[in-house]
Amino acid sequence: MATVQVSEAEKVYILHGVRDDLRVDGRGCEDYRHMEIETDMVSNTDGSAKVTLGHTDVLVGVKAEMGKPRPMVPDEGYLEFFVDCSANATPEFEGRGGDELGMELSNTLYKVFNNRYSVDLKSLCISRGEHCWVLYVDVLLLQCDGNLFDAISVAIKAALFNTKIPKVHISEDEEGGKEIELSDDPYDCMRLNVENVPCIVTLCKVGHRHVVDATLQEKACSVASLIISVTHKGTVTCVRKVGGGSLDPESIFEMTETGKRVGKALHAPLMELLQEEESLGKKRQKVGFLG
Amino acid sequence: MPTDTKRVRGPEVSQSPSLFLCKNAVKKSTASNDARVDGRQRGQVDVRSVFVRCGLISQAKGSAYIEAGNTKLICCVYGPRETERKDETDMKSGRLITDMRFAPFSCRERGSWIQGSDEKDLSLMLLESLRPGVCLQKYPRSQIEVNVMVLENDGAVLAHAVTCASMALADAGIEMYDLVLGCSIRQEGATYLIDPTFLEENGYNLASGSRENLGSLTVAFLPSLNQISGLQSDGEMGEDTLTGDVRTCIEGCFKLYPVIQQALSKAVRRKAPPSES
Repeated sequence: MATVQVSEAEKVYILHGVRDDLRVDGRGCEDYRHMEIETDMVSNTDGSAKVTLGHTDVLVGVKAEMGKPRPMVPDEGYLEFFVDCSANATPEFEGRGGDELGMELSNTLYKVFNNRYSVDLKSLCISRGEHCWVLYVDVLLLQCDGNLFDAISVAIKAALFNTKIPKVHISEDEEGGKEIELSDDPYDCMRLNVENVPCIVTLCKVGHRHVVDATLQEKACSVASLIISVTHKGTVTCVRKVGGGSLDPESIFEMTETGKRVGKALHAPLMELLQEEESLGKKRQKVGFLG
Repeated sequence: MPTDTKRVRGPEVSQSPSLFLCKNAVKKSTASNDARVDGRQRGQVDVRSVFVRCGLISQAKGSAYIEAGNTKLICCVYGPRETERKDETDMKSGRLITDMRFAPFSCRERGSWIQGSDEKDLSLMLLESLRPGVCLQKYPRSQIEVNVMVLENDGAVLAHAVTCASMALADAGIEMYDLVLGCSIRQEGATYLIDPTFLEENGYNLASGSRENLGSLTVAFLPSLNQISGLQSDGEMGEDTLTGDVRTCIEGCFKLYPVIQQALSKAVRRKAPPSES
């Protein structure tokens, strides 16, 4: 991860501030930075979203392709995640430098979505055992200022909300062969239900307290963080400890509780915002990348 | 993507015969909901008995072998050696490098020798679990390599790898704050199965009605310091279930602790020069 060098005095300053629930930029321990979300930015994808969280910039594109279902589950489609840490973010990511981080992020995303309820995979089936929709979710990191997991999960939720999968009709001809027809109307498409898609909350242990949405400076003062992914109902789909330090079991329980509370509170305004954006339809003013 | 070009593989469309196995043969639902297939109980801290031995591999600085049920793992530790890449951080403390691999014959379906993303993820989790336990600041400018090889995968692989690796580190004489022990649990509805086997992990003996609260959890724990150094969960669980499961895993680690301590002290006594009597 991109890191900054922090002097001992700065560390003490940050630690004392967090202890008194006042961070360097004036936020409380459980406050997020200013977040901007925009969907439908890339016209070549079936769904896309861009999220800016402070100075962290993430772009997600979803493409739906037809593929063969997995042998163990012939009546379900699946999702494939790929995270690319672009060299634009920091010079450390040049060449293969960003591969390790990208791999870690993709693996965590697989774990987060590895349950029956996040995305209705049965709706992605076209014909059992032969064809299904495979959703390739590609994440591009444009700028890195800490808290990548949260930004990526919000962007994925927004992109999946925005995804329009074309409707297919299967017709059988006389010899029994199946033909797949895509409808001619470009607006005749299927949308995904993203109610149960979880959002990831990263909690960094700074001193004796934990903070949500840590900046790079705060990250440099913490030894360990906990990543927790929460659905809108409050169920936890993935918990993971990252970092080279150890945590007290009591801290972990506290952090889980905070993470669950913060994560649950994140969903309702997000869905509201996405639906509002959707309802504006053609009248929406696209801000794009230069806003 | 790197492919194995030296081996002749079957045709592209070939599938493993185990997929076509009649599902009924595998899904033998147990008569009573309490007993598990290997006779242990659900809902109780019933870890499999482990067999551990240190000092098997003569070439390695330290090594350990662990067997829990049918899960077999071997771990070697090399180091401290001089590190090839020297950044600023290396000047102050050492570097721990972990590598976890599955032998191709370890799982039900043949795996490949090339490290997949699962193995890389497990290696990373192993590194994060072991780092808090090792006194790396006593080894500046050096690297310690930990290599774990899974010989047979019958569930709870990461948990046993953590235990095996910390034993191997102790056997190698690397200074540590405490042993790191791992424990795995599978939550199914209202009950939990501690130290699950491969079939239990993949949900083959699903008790009916366990639609919610289905997930697994692995915890790496330092017993003397009461610190959790690694935590990973999967699936869907309520927050209280998660908290309960973490406590259960900690209990499981405490159960394992005396066995590991005994094995280590035996190994040290074997290595020590015979006392003049």
